[in-house]
Amino acid sequence: MTVATPPRSVDRLMSPEGVPLCLEVAGVGVRLGAQIIDVLATTLPAFAFVVLIQSLDLAESQGFNAIAAMLFLFSRIPYYVLIELAWNGQTIGKRLMQIKVVASDGRSLTAHALVIRNITKEAEIFSPGTLILVLGADAPVVSIAALVWMIGVLLVPLVNRRRRRLGDLAAGTYVVHLPSPMLLADLARADPKHAKSEPGFTFLTHHLDHYGVYELQTLERVIRAQDTAMTGSEKARHTETEARIVEAIRRKISYADAVPADDRARFLRDFYRAQRAHLEQRQLFGDHRVNKFYKEKHSQSQK
Amino acid sequence: MQDADIRSARFRAEREDDWRRLETVIADAEKHGLQRMPFAAARDLAALYRQATSSLAIAREISLDRALLAYLEALTARAYLTVYAPQEPLGDVIGRFFAQSAPQALRRAGPYLLIGFLSMGLGALVGYLLYIENASWFYVFVPSELAGGRNPGASTETLRAVIYDDDPSAHGLGAFAAFLFSHNSRIAIFIFGLGVFLCAPAILLTFYNGLILGAFMGLHVERGLGWDLLGWLSVHGVTEVSAICIACAGGVMLGASVLFPGQARRASALQAAGRDAVKLAIVAALMLVAAAVLEGFARQLVQSLEARLVLGWGVGLVWLVWILGRGRGRS
Repeated sequence: MTVATPPRSVDRLMSPEGVPLCLEVAGVGVRLGAQIIDVLATTLPAFAFVVLIQSLDLAESQGFNAIAAMLFLFSRIPYYVLIELAWNGQTIGKRLMQIKVVASDGRSLTAHALVIRNITKEAEIFSPGTLILVLGADAPVVSIAALVWMIGVLLVPLVNRRRRRLGDLAAGTYVVHLPSPMLLADLARADPKHAKSEPGFTFLTHHLDHYGVYELQTLERVIRAQDTAMTGSEKARHTETEARIVEAIRRKISYADAVPADDRARFLRDFYRAQRAHLEQRQLFGDHRVNKFYKEKHSQSQK
Repeated sequence: MQDADIRSARFRAEREDDWRRLETVIADAEKHGLQRMPFAAARDLAALYRQATSSLAIAREISLDRALLAYLEALTARAYLTVYAPQEPLGDVIGRFFAQSAPQALRRAGPYLLIGFLSMGLGALVGYLLYIENASWFYVFVPSELAGGRNPGASTETLRAVIYDDDPSAHGLGAFAAFLFSHNSRIAIFIFGLGVFLCAPAILLTFYNGLILGAFMGLHVERGLGWDLLGWLSVHGVTEVSAICIACAGGVMLGASVLFPGQARRASALQAAGRDAVKLAIVAALMLVAAAVLEGFARQLVQSLEARLVLGWGVGLVWLVWILGRGRGRS
């Protein structure tokens, strides 16, 4: 339903069926968010447990230390490996952010890949992070070195196309957004709002040879926009846009009949339908018209 | 005119119901897991998924409807992620690791394990001999915080008191135990991770760990506490030192694949070596946790020398039987 889709980093993944699938690569921000949620989700219960034990005065130092140490150890690698194994490449944070780990070769995720990508997380973030937290200003050289290492590691995803960190590179995985399928109505089918008896606009072949796929799909966006809820001023602007588009199309295709203001939406719909039928038919014959400049391109390639 | 739909609209109308059904099946599978799906739904999922992929392939050719293409892209991608999810439950993965893949990987890593244990053993020997020659080597090898006051200047009674802790609730040993645990697990991580830099750091670090061990042994043997220290160390040390040696083997494995990639490229040789090396690292980590448990609880409870030796080496024997015995026969 969006009128303008932002440019997205889409990646092609070859499925075993031989049909390439498009998956949107998850950006660094989303993954950082998921990571922060995971860190909170693992350390908060551990902290709560420690506080509970201490407040109940059950703290028998030795066993207590051991349990606390085990809890904090578990909140690192084991948590990520086990939960990604159980949920097929998702953690609590990744579930909330709607992202998921996939194997870059298009096969299913292996336990080995998940272990690798999470063990390296230790070397990339957790170990240097702990060093900085523990040492702080006491050992500035080590702290700064750890900080530089962490920054360098965090820059790795920014310089490759699939936003893979070192662990992803080693394991052959990357992280994608979970696609959410949403089927919109087919604009080429009869509009139930209009009675059948009303005569539609008809277009002839010479009317339809002016535009390409790009213009068709832009028109599709405009028509779909009128189905969204709009405020008064938006509505007025949309009506104005519609009027301008109708005039532009009429001029371009030299459509002689005037279009009354009430019929503009219907004119656009009918034109969309006729244009799509025409372009799809041309495409079946091998004449793929990318945009309205297709004729120039065609003549250029002939020279 | 409105009645005769264009080709791509008919294409969509004919298949739309199946796509909708696929959507609900996927939502179900994601919610409850593939394992708990009824038979009919699982059968439909496979068929509908293939149908959707072929729909997508056709739609890319014949349809210019942006909304339809976007929907089919998302639907097939989502279905693909569900259909090609690993089918094995988590318990089976873990069970397989212990029953087969880990012992098999360890047996395959025989020569590397030899290198690991040799580095440690030679380090201990050198440390011991050097200490016997000149006691001040102790200060060179052993970091003061690790020694915890046990150095050549300490009295024999002090050394003895640490080994046979009469008061189990005392904090000194507990704190020392916790520190040793964290020190050695950190060392193990470094040994494994640094192995990738051409083996040298892994071997050197293991050797150095051996030096510390040897110097300790030297100190106690000199005071006539050799067997007592052996018992004290055996409880957890058999497991712990083995874990460090296994981590070293894993690191050397990574380094060796970079040094001698054979016919493969270095990156792919490293990836191939990683398959076994990671299993070694996991085994080492588990052994370290087991060692920490032994150290934290068993060592304070078991105070007699014989029982300590039996316990420590008995646990070591269990590890050995597991490594040599499991996962043979049928693959």
